[in-house]
Amino acid sequence: MKKKLSASYQFAVVVILLVVGAIVNVYLPWYVMGLVFAALAAVLGLPSGSGFRLGFVSGFLLWSLAAVLVNVQHPSSLPERMAKVLPLGGNVIALYAVTGLIGGIYGGIWLWAGARLRQKS
Amino acid sequence: MKSIKSIIPLICALIFTYALNRSWGTTPPFGKLLSPFHGFWVNAENPETEEASLELLKIPGLQGEVQVIYDEMGVPHVFAKNDHDLFMAQGYLTAKDRLWQMEFQTHFAGGRISEIVGEKGMASDQFQRRMGSIYGAEKSFEGMKEDPKAEEALNAYSDGVNAYISGLSERQLPLEYKLLDYKPETWTPIKSALFLKNMSFVLASGTDDLKMTNILRKYGKKVAEDLFPNYPFEESPIIPVGSPIDFKPVPIPAGPADFTGLGSSMMTPEKDPNIGSNNWAVAGNKTVSGLPILANDPHLTLQLPSIWYQMQLVAPGVNVYGSTMPGTPNVIIGFNKNIAWGVTNVGSDVLDWYQVKFKDASKREYWHDGKWKKTTLRIETFKVKGKENFVDTIFFTHHGPVVYLSHEKPFRSNIPVGHALRWIAHEKSQEMTTFFQLNRAKNYDEYKKALTYYSAPAQNFVFASNEGDIALWVNGKFPLKAPLQGKYLMDGTDPAADWQGFIPQEHNPHVKNPVRGFVSSANQFSTDPSYPYYLGWQYAPSERGRRINERLAIMNKINMDSLRGLQNDNYNIRARKVLPLLLAQVKTSSPAQEKGLAMLKTWNLQNAPESIGATIFENWVLYLQDAVWDDEFAADEKVPMNRPALDRLIHMMEAEPQAVWWDNVKTASKKETMQDMISGSFVASMDSLAKKHGPMGPEWAWYKHKQTGVRHLIPGMDALSRLNIPIGGGGSIVNASTTKTGPSWRMVVELSKEGKPKAYGVYPGGQSGNPGSAHYDDLIDTWAKGELRSLLYLENPDQKSNRLRKKIVLSSK
Repeated sequence: MKKKLSASYQFAVVVILLVVGAIVNVYLPWYVMGLVFAALAAVLGLPSGSGFRLGFVSGFLLWSLAAVLVNVQHPSSLPERMAKVLPLGGNVIALYAVTGLIGGIYGGIWLWAGARLRQKS
Repeated sequence: MKSIKSIIPLICALIFTYALNRSWGTTPPFGKLLSPFHGFWVNAENPETEEASLELLKIPGLQGEVQVIYDEMGVPHVFAKNDHDLFMAQGYLTAKDRLWQMEFQTHFAGGRISEIVGEKGMASDQFQRRMGSIYGAEKSFEGMKEDPKAEEALNAYSDGVNAYISGLSERQLPLEYKLLDYKPETWTPIKSALFLKNMSFVLASGTDDLKMTNILRKYGKKVAEDLFPNYPFEESPIIPVGSPIDFKPVPIPAGPADFTGLGSSMMTPEKDPNIGSNNWAVAGNKTVSGLPILANDPHLTLQLPSIWYQMQLVAPGVNVYGSTMPGTPNVIIGFNKNIAWGVTNVGSDVLDWYQVKFKDASKREYWHDGKWKKTTLRIETFKVKGKENFVDTIFFTHHGPVVYLSHEKPFRSNIPVGHALRWIAHEKSQEMTTFFQLNRAKNYDEYKKALTYYSAPAQNFVFASNEGDIALWVNGKFPLKAPLQGKYLMDGTDPAADWQGFIPQEHNPHVKNPVRGFVSSANQFSTDPSYPYYLGWQYAPSERGRRINERLAIMNKINMDSLRGLQNDNYNIRARKVLPLLLAQVKTSSPAQEKGLAMLKTWNLQNAPESIGATIFENWVLYLQDAVWDDEFAADEKVPMNRPALDRLIHMMEAEPQAVWWDNVKTASKKETMQDMISGSFVASMDSLAKKHGPMGPEWAWYKHKQTGVRHLIPGMDALSRLNIPIGGGGSIVNASTTKTGPSWRMVVELSKEGKPKAYGVYPGGQSGNPGSAHYDDLIDTWAKGELRSLLYLENPDQKSNRLRKKIVLSSK
């Protein structure tokens, strides 16, 4: 029953999620990425055991790296201010981490949900 | 069973997503907010490069092409082909930089904050509406529409704002919408009226009638009039003493019978009294250039985004530069080729309370002039976030709204219950026309004509022209009153207590080209008591005005820089008078106190940022006033009372050392003397400073004690604020920077015969309302240092300057 996924397969899944996630995020509301992750999990037939993990890694990487990229392209005091609002003591690295964490849980939970749905049928 | 299990993760995912897609109380929607593709990250803006760039924007509704050139401060210079396009562009560009602020401020003015923050905004919202803010805006809007040019401006401005809103995607929303989780609504012209009316709330809603009546009831009229005199002992009125009166006064009404009233009770916090302003203009014979120079610095609550937004507006017939107020068309304080103008607030009494006698609990009728008269009702609906709508009924007599019924708890301690409000802000008015015409005025006559349209909040309009004229009109609509009418609460049944019309506008106090070579105002008394009409009994303390006038009187060869210096003057004229009186009486015992006294004796009387003497003096005066007055005038928090002015206390020190008020009535066994109070308050003040800052040292620096901050409009949003700014000054200092208020825009304009004025200005903020922009707070340091930026006044859109940055062309095609 349990599928073992090869490392390269897992890597490929993460890359697909990153690319599709980025495209969806750029053009559609933030909550669409989850639906698309779930659909991909179902289509690819991912095992629910690795669903959350792969989704988390993809979501974390996508959101934290995108945040870093935005801040590099548009340097401003805003991340530091927001790291005080949240409150993270003004620590921008912590803000990247929290951003990644939210993106990770979000991606993970939907990929897991999609994988479980597929297993049902 | 298995199928249910496989559904559970989906439900978890949906709940997680839903929870992070909305705000919970004050917790923002974390998913939406943190997404680097949609949330706050997107609001970061690149600092501008020095390379000029060109952008084309399509705005449906424009009649022609509008060219917009931004300078290095982020100030848009707007060149339009007609007034319609000019105002449409003004609305569009202001919204581009300040949309959230414009909407938030008008929501506040209209009593709609609870739509954003929920139930905790209700008390403030209800207070705004009960005071008649929307009622007043509707009346004012009616008046504005009577001038077709003002109506065109309002509509075009509104269309411009909406053009910007409709082009916004969710991810482009200003940061505050993302934090508070809501979206901008359509702008309407009446919002501009709401904003302007709210200036009456900010500047002309001060009311001590209730507190004065409580004093009258406890101590009687003799004491009330003795401790609260109707003209200060030391004053330098705005209209120079001895100025000729060029009109024949109309008869003064007889005034109402004496009335003591019921007074009123209950306590809630009050607003900051330190709102004031300075302005002046000096004649050409006192300047280096030989032409007048004008200066203005309105003192308001220091806020981010700033209350002001700089713009240059150019169209056929107009080329004006200055500070605009986001939410309204035109420049409010500024200059054009020929003239410059500025404003400070007039502290006249334009708000009165009438005790209402209702017939019965239905409140459908009230007693006035020997008859039962019908009240009118106004229904206000509050759409409270996360709650049911709340519907409120406001009862109006012919005076105005009954702000709080007898059983209700007022939002502020100075608002009486069971009284109807008569307020100038409820009058139909045409302030927009005044500013439209001032923007285009070429000389004194056109300035004078523009002022005839203005009602409220009354302002000291200072003026200078390149024809060499300087002038100042104390201008607004002033009720025609008997002397002292409205100093205390009035009897709502007595027709003689009603306002009996208005002072004719041409009789408003004014002065043109006075012999002394300058005009000035700093919120002090408009005139000396020889002026034929009664305007009010209490104005801002005279210190700033006296200091400005004594400086301007001796200054010659004036230029921009010397007036900039005067705007930043930290000299404590109050200390010059009070400190010797205090030092003559004080007795100390401890070495720490001796050290404090030694510091005061060597203090140069400058409220400089690093000064320790200023900290000790200012704190001592506060403690002294508490000690002398609180036993009699703050004994019962349910009966709020005024405290006599410092001017009166100084007179008591000089002339009444035996006054009964020196004794602390709370200590029955002991009778305190003046010396006891002065020494005691010094010890208490020094102890409090030591407790707060440790032993006397650099931590006692005036700026560290005073803590001037420019705060974001959302209360408590420190991360978006600038706090602990190193700046001197104080409430009674020309540089009027206090903890929360201060010079909100400083401007100096040197006029020129050739129509090439040289102007300088700064405000404590920045052009952009976006905390992710370099222009969010980039002017604060310049402001704190007391420097001004040169203002770029362009004559045409093709003019070259190394200060120009990006250019935007707006057109409907």
